[in-house]
Amino acid sequence: MTNKNLKFLEKKLKLSFKDSLINISEDTRIIIIAQKEQVLNILKFLKGKGYDHLALISCADWIEENEFELVYIISSYGDPHTNWENIAKSKQPIGVGVNIILKTRISRENPQFITAIPVFENAEPYEREIHELFGINFEGHPRLTPLFLEREYKIPPFRKDFDTRKYVEEVFDKIPFVEEKK
Amino acid sequence: MRKLELYFGPQHLGMVGNLSITLKVEGDRILEATANPGYLHRGFEKLMELRTWIQNFPIVCRVNMVEPDSMEMVYAMAVEKLANIEVPERAHYIRSIVLELARVASHLFGLWAYANMLGFDTVAQWAMYHRDLILDLFEELTGGRVYHIYLWPGGVRRDFPKGFKDKIVNTLHSIGGCVPDYDATFFNNRLFYERAKGIGKITQEEAKKLGAVGQVLRATGMKFDIRKVEPYAAYNNVDWDVPTREEGDAYSRLWVIRDEMIESVHMIFKLLDKMPDGEVYNRVPNPFKWNIPKGETYVRVESSRGELGLYMVSNGGDKPYRVHFRTPSYTHGLVILEKLLKNASIADVGNIMISLYVVAPEIDR
Amino acid sequence: MDRKDIKKWIKEPGKMGHKYSLHAIYFCTGCGIIEVPPVITSRWDAERFGVIPVATPRQANLFLITGYVSVKTLKAVIRTYEQMPEPKWTVGFGSCPINGGMYWDSYNTIKHLDKYIPIDGWIAGCMPRPEAIFVAVTHLWTLIDKGEAKAYVKYREKYKYYRDNQEKVLGKLDWPALYKENQK
Repeated sequence: MTNKNLKFLEKKLKLSFKDSLINISEDTRIIIIAQKEQVLNILKFLKGKGYDHLALISCADWIEENEFELVYIISSYGDPHTNWENIAKSKQPIGVGVNIILKTRISRENPQFITAIPVFENAEPYEREIHELFGINFEGHPRLTPLFLEREYKIPPFRKDFDTRKYVEEVFDKIPFVEEKK
Repeated sequence: MRKLELYFGPQHLGMVGNLSITLKVEGDRILEATANPGYLHRGFEKLMELRTWIQNFPIVCRVNMVEPDSMEMVYAMAVEKLANIEVPERAHYIRSIVLELARVASHLFGLWAYANMLGFDTVAQWAMYHRDLILDLFEELTGGRVYHIYLWPGGVRRDFPKGFKDKIVNTLHSIGGCVPDYDATFFNNRLFYERAKGIGKITQEEAKKLGAVGQVLRATGMKFDIRKVEPYAAYNNVDWDVPTREEGDAYSRLWVIRDEMIESVHMIFKLLDKMPDGEVYNRVPNPFKWNIPKGETYVRVESSRGELGLYMVSNGGDKPYRVHFRTPSYTHGLVILEKLLKNASIADVGNIMISLYVVAPEIDR
Repeated sequence: MDRKDIKKWIKEPGKMGHKYSLHAIYFCTGCGIIEVPPVITSRWDAERFGVIPVATPRQANLFLITGYVSVKTLKAVIRTYEQMPEPKWTVGFGSCPINGGMYWDSYNTIKHLDKYIPIDGWIAGCMPRPEAIFVAVTHLWTLIDKGEAKAYVKYREKYKYYRDNQEKVLGKLDWPALYKENQK
């Protein structure tokens, strides 16, 4: 049932965005690998088609290929009166159990990207967290201040070249117990 | 009037959990609110990259301690999807029963927090007592009151002990028999109506724009529940309904919580009737040398606060490459809370925050 | 009033009064807060031991640090501890304050809480049962009786060392020192 809606969406996407790779991976998942200039256009296109729930913006550090990969996961809320048991019989072209995983790669040397807040308003804390933990700068974001961390780190802590066990040894284990001091 | 900056800080009687809010007030009215999370940040996702797939199981339930079973479920589902493991039929039913019991326990904890903050101490004591009865059931089944480590990839760890079905039925009858008392003391009480009606009101378009899920969205009239949108475990095999309300304020959110608890109890009875016999566990390959093929996936589950998701990337090795939890309290606590606290009065901060059911360790991970 | 201890009550009424009314401060520090509401409500009633939660640090004399402490929380914990009046007792709850626990390799949690504020006793477990809190409270009573629960005196005598350790982790602290040097 959702395969019909998925194939419809895949066809529409392939028509509008020719240089992105689109394939259906499981029953209800579409993976789109896009160039970084096309990402905002694809997000606007999907929101116009009824996929209005931005679930997650995530980031993976592919250190061997010297690239960061930004991931946007989008799904649909459906209509207020959607009867979920009857989606098999419904004719609306939105696959309501569908998740769209949109991926793009940016360089690791000087990571810059553009914010998605004009399209999805709840993207603000996700981008703030990625800026703090990975070091990626988002242009146009209203407040890129620290969210979780209290101290300064030389390398942003979630990158693969930050060794957390060595950090613990150097900073926390070297502090002496009070009984040992005289 | 003068403008002041107040700290509704981590050590406060109206705060459940370790979160701090900075308020800019003028007189009694709040002009701007900023949430300061980070008091519980452990770098969870970085720690999970340093442990093997099996070593991650005892640690993953500690992301959110109010309802740890949904975290285990979402991790088990993601690993099963990447490694292509089948789950036997009886395990699906047991998983659904355990998740529904955890949902009732978590809603009772939320009821304790809300009733305590409003001043209804009697209802708070009852809710904590009934939650303890459910934790006794968990202790007999899994060995621990709070952290269960029961839902593994491939099924569940062990079968129900002898006589456990009757124990569940007796406990739920004794809790369900107190619903008229709860109604008379709290839900139909005129004081609760006066204090919660119209507070923290959010419309449906606003909620969808700001990324609301769970009972915050269901209280505005939208029937969005992941157990119906993308059914998992045994939820498709029983008849049940999604309760909603129309107004979108704190009053209707608490009523949605009450209706969900009653619906969960009915669902457990129906699942216990229909449960088939059989195995509960499909063996995984050698857990010491378990490499999962390359790939990525996103799975989601309906926890007691909303849509809980997990994005997992595997590199073909014996440890995860990247793990990212999508928690419902993230948008509720950082985006919606700041929006709803504008132009509220200082006396309503605890009311709005606890009716949104923001759990602090889910924001920081 | 316990009739068997009536001699102790007459000799040292202050100490017996402190023992049987340990007021704990309401601060949800970490993971372990999930087992504190069952303790203070009706099933495992903590009020029969004299333990009730109070609102501000100035009214409390027991600090129960439940669970792991991150760097941001350490600031709040130190501020709260320094505002409590003497005599005061601290108990570490769970295995994370003891030696790091399950997050021993995390870059943001404190591994040995003993280096930053003085601790009277520990409760092991992850999660400990509610009865473990009562075992800890009764053990604290015997320590107070013998005069061995003197962590707050240690803080006063070795304040310089504690403050040095705190500044190594948190940077320059923006509140003044609580005690002068070598205060007895």
